[in-house]
Amino acid sequence: MVITFISIFAIGIVAGVVGAILGLGGGIIIVPALTLGFGMPMRTAVAASTVCIIATSTGAAVAFLRDRLTNTRVAIWLEMGTSLGALTGALAAALVNQRVLFVLFGLLLAYSAYNMFRTRKEHARPEVVPDAISRKLRLGGSYYDKALGRRVEYQVTRTLPGLIIMYFSGAAAGLLGIGAGIFKVPAMDQVMGMPFKASSATSNFMIGVTAASGAVVYFARGDVKPLVAGPVVLGVLLGAILGARLMMRMPAGRIRLFFMPILAYTAIEMIYKGVKWW
Amino acid sequence: MVVGIDPEDKAAVHPIELVLARLLRLGSMVAAALLAVGIALMVFGHTGFAPRLITVGLLVLLGTPVMRVVAAAIIFVKERDWHFALFSLVVLCALAVGIYFGKGM
Repeated sequence: MVITFISIFAIGIVAGVVGAILGLGGGIIIVPALTLGFGMPMRTAVAASTVCIIATSTGAAVAFLRDRLTNTRVAIWLEMGTSLGALTGALAAALVNQRVLFVLFGLLLAYSAYNMFRTRKEHARPEVVPDAISRKLRLGGSYYDKALGRRVEYQVTRTLPGLIIMYFSGAAAGLLGIGAGIFKVPAMDQVMGMPFKASSATSNFMIGVTAASGAVVYFARGDVKPLVAGPVVLGVLLGAILGARLMMRMPAGRIRLFFMPILAYTAIEMIYKGVKWW
Repeated sequence: MVVGIDPEDKAAVHPIELVLARLLRLGSMVAAALLAVGIALMVFGHTGFAPRLITVGLLVLLGTPVMRVVAAAIIFVKERDWHFALFSLVVLCALAVGIYFGKGM
């Protein structure tokens, strides 16, 4: 038992570090590790992974908030989209064809992976001009980038398209059980013109809230097994604290480089899932 | 804390981040402590009590982001930032409805 605890705990640490750096929930590591590595049922793994999303978000957010990497105003604006989307997704889950959605969302991710690859040189970006909502709500921000050794000021644009994408990302999370951060980071980075590190930190901050409403369902159903979730969540918490510190010192370009293959992999996996069932 | 300069500067030293950071740190530390003690007890053979302690730790963690939205809403109301107070309220309502329906599933 002790060995199992320690190995689950270690998986948690890895998932926490990766999740905190990339602004994702870490489910991409935890779910396969628990099901394939430990032969646990899918429901147990997904329930544990949902609580882990909260752990990543909470653990990493402390450091990100202190360094102002998290844009709380953008986060709250976009959380309206994710939370309403998640609600719609959960309610509509019985009505829609999941296969079509997997393919659609997979294609969307593939497109954003391509787009991220195309615009991988951060400095080659055009100046971001804030739109009316962004100006009115003062969404622009600044943070001190430890990797660059200087303060980065930025503006936010296309706030409404961003909100709409968040709505669908929330719906995808509710319908397909994926997409904690994988849609949010590209939406802020590619659509709203935010710097990659601010996008990742803000995504990290937001995913905890979306996951909380899902986690309640898993708790109510009794899918959260304390002996599985306990060690992995503890590992994720510590990993996320560590990951947040690492991320603040990493150059944005390198984080992006890590993000792209994961994005591409998830896209392929989703399209495959959708096509396989036909 | 620097106050009373122009609105641009005020946004830059906005204390909301620090308040939320403190709240999230408290939540994650309490949760981590409960989980660690629970797992340790489990290893030493207290198989009856330990899982319950771990569950409490997980529930504390689960409550933390919800408390974070509540705290943000209170801060925005205090600062008369009505737009963001409203946005926080929308998020809270969606969460509440989601939890209400979710429990029934």
